[in-house]
Amino acid sequence: MRKIILAISALFFVFGNLLANEVNIFSARHYDSDVQLYEKFTAKTGIKVNVVSGKSGALEKRIIAEGGTADLYITADAGRLGAFKDNLQGGLTSSIIKTAVPSNFRTPKWVGIAKRARIVYFAPDRVTRAELRGLTYESLADPKWKGRLVIRASNNIYNQSLVASLIKNNGKGKVAMWSKGIVSNMARSPKGNDRAQILAVAAGEADIAVANTYYLALMLSGKKGAEQQAAAKKVKPFFPNQGDRGTHMNISGAGLVKGAPNKDNAIKLVEFLLSKEAQKHIVNNTYEYPMIAGVSPHPLVVNMGLDFKQDLTTKVVNYGNRQADALEVMTAAGWK
Amino acid sequence: MAKYNFWFFSSFLIALIVALPVITVFFSFFSETSNYLTILKNTFLFDYINNSLIILIFVLSITFLLGVISAYFISFYEFPLCNFFSWALILAFAVPGYIFAFSIIAFFENYGTAYSMLTNMFGEYNYNPHIPKLDGILGSIIAISFSLFPYVYVLTRSSFFYQSNNYIEVGQNLGLSERETLFKIILPSARPAIIAGLALVAMECLSDFGTVSIFSVSTLTTGIYNSWLSFDDLNLANQISFILLLFVFLLLSIEIYSRKEAKYHQPSRGFKPINKIKLSGKKSLLAFSFCFLLFFISFIFPVSQMIYWTLKFPKYIQDINILKINLNTMYLVGLASIVLVFISLFINYGSRISKSKILNYLTNFSISGYAIPGVILAVAFITLFSNFSELMSENTSLGNIKKLFIGSIFGLVLAYFIRFFSLSFNGIKSSYEKINNSIDESAYLLGYSKIKTFSSIHVPYLKNNIILIIVLISLEIIKELPMTMILRPFNFETFATQAYIYASQDLLEAAALPSLFLISWATILIIFSSKYILSQKN
Repeated sequence: MRKIILAISALFFVFGNLLANEVNIFSARHYDSDVQLYEKFTAKTGIKVNVVSGKSGALEKRIIAEGGTADLYITADAGRLGAFKDNLQGGLTSSIIKTAVPSNFRTPKWVGIAKRARIVYFAPDRVTRAELRGLTYESLADPKWKGRLVIRASNNIYNQSLVASLIKNNGKGKVAMWSKGIVSNMARSPKGNDRAQILAVAAGEADIAVANTYYLALMLSGKKGAEQQAAAKKVKPFFPNQGDRGTHMNISGAGLVKGAPNKDNAIKLVEFLLSKEAQKHIVNNTYEYPMIAGVSPHPLVVNMGLDFKQDLTTKVVNYGNRQADALEVMTAAGWK
Repeated sequence: MAKYNFWFFSSFLIALIVALPVITVFFSFFSETSNYLTILKNTFLFDYINNSLIILIFVLSITFLLGVISAYFISFYEFPLCNFFSWALILAFAVPGYIFAFSIIAFFENYGTAYSMLTNMFGEYNYNPHIPKLDGILGSIIAISFSLFPYVYVLTRSSFFYQSNNYIEVGQNLGLSERETLFKIILPSARPAIIAGLALVAMECLSDFGTVSIFSVSTLTTGIYNSWLSFDDLNLANQISFILLLFVFLLLSIEIYSRKEAKYHQPSRGFKPINKIKLSGKKSLLAFSFCFLLFFISFIFPVSQMIYWTLKFPKYIQDINILKINLNTMYLVGLASIVLVFISLFINYGSRISKSKILNYLTNFSISGYAIPGVILAVAFITLFSNFSELMSENTSLGNIKKLFIGSIFGLVLAYFIRFFSLSFNGIKSSYEKINNSIDESAYLLGYSKIKTFSSIHVPYLKNNIILIIVLISLEIIKELPMTMILRPFNFETFATQAYIYASQDLLEAAALPSLFLISWATILIIFSSKYILSQKN
């Protein structure tokens, strides 16, 4: 038995070392369109892309336990990458990357691939323009929204990143109070994903919802069926904090894993993902905002409005740094 | 010391491998944890336990009612389609709880399938506020109950089936009313079988990961997973696992004890099928409606939802590489069942010819793999082999052997082996015990070697049983989610992982096709084996 194991493991090493023209991706962002993108990369460079997808937490554990297998860790949230930074290494510093990505959306260890905004959706027949004027994330805790707001659970990473950015800008104490205000404004106990929040507003369960931008475009596209397309037309997007720092932005990003066996290939892939061709593919399939200049978002996203002020002052690296604090204040406030 | 022979050591080795995760969990109970335990204790832990208990209690009550009532109707009465229902109700096993969960969400959500149906029938209107929202704990309870009730149904039914008389007639002869007969004769007689069924339901319910995570309900099992992931605290995860394990072992003992009891209630020979009482009128309609509704909700409802989606969103038929996933599934199922059956036969044979009592106790350990929820097993598995590999690379020239176990087919099959060894070993054991030892003696007298006795006498006798075991293992592996999800290699999906990934990306409609394939495979296996399953004497 031992000999067999030895033989098999020897075989693994031989293969592992010989077939080195590949790159190993652990992806928590597993759209079919991403796979098509990897196929394009392989066709172009001859580098084989290996993917294992899953939920971010489990992937992170496996990256650590397996050690020396993963090259890139791809997620749909900066908070994840930030929290995982001790297991990432520097090296994403080529001039291609630096010119493509604004500095608040990258560190040497990880870079943004696409952007999304977390915004407010409202029902135009029940929420007046006057009510919305000057709306900020901070003012969502205002008692005038009592019983009118839906937002998903506190274990959701998008919420954790939003709250982390609020803590960075307002301090933990204020945000702890704010969380309590949010909980008392909720129209229902948090449940479902972002799309379910938007649908709740369409269905009249609530007047305003907090959700990411691409969900509305996805529903408007008809890919979720005619009913949801019609429902999506009943809500309107609103971009908060236009009077001060701008709307909360988050990223889909890629991190370079410590001990990556194919570091060069990984960097090549990241550079490819930031090319015009790849960015066009991403925005047209996932309805995110492009990371690089000179590529237009999907027309449905353009229709939601592009002339809003993005928060470019709060570095996304804070989402990871303040994640534990965010979870703590939300839990303490009874945010399920 | 003849006891410590080859058979002893090989059984010992297998028992050790299977018990390793439990041992890992047990030892980490005493190691230190981070401060997160305090945070968890103050905030989440009570919620976890509370949710687990609420779900458990309701699932047990519902599966008890559904399983016992359907078994009662089908065993003692004749009504339209009763023979069809007798096996069709087991088809609920083909629909894993997490797929049932997708169907519930899709049907009841705002602008979901129910909304579309109402719009098509009665025109445009905001029906959403009037559609009940089956989600959260309520949704979990329903999804888990309807996917697990067949355990109670199958065991209760076979307990009724092997009675020598129709209890209804016995009751009439004793001058009891139908109700008295039910409570005084029928239920007490089937008690061990019902308890055994409920214990299995409870174990599966406590270890459920997929269903509750689809509904975002935190239970002990997801709590373990989260404390491992969010708080980076493996010891804490293992400590909560330990609490859960205590629950599970308690249930397991109840189940084993009940099965022993059940044996006394069964006639050893002279079996004849009981005469069924023909129902008519309202009673017949009641029995039929109950079984039909049960079959409809547990099987037709999720299957139609999946078919509806597949047809409504045909884009995904091209996007999903169905052929590859089919091959992956067959590959895993084939490899794992060969390994499991081969080793189970081997150890059973060893245990038989060495007649060692210690060996018997050792093999009882094998049950532990089944007792651990898959997600915890996967966690323990990764910890174990990550540590093992470090130990090996420090002390030998072997280098990094993690890759052999984590993210490889070998590792995945090993994990399945640990999880399902008890199913396979005990399944073969129960049949092996029926081959009288004197048959072996006679064979030896006729000059048969031990190997020949095994291959020409034991194996042919066990053939049907082996086929059934292979079917059951395949069924479990096809539906298995958490271990496959965490341990699978690069570019490798099964129906379960593909469906779950789509669902967690908010693409439930894309999850329909892999789910449908999963259900089809499972249905074929169940239909193929329904005769064996229904005739199992507990």
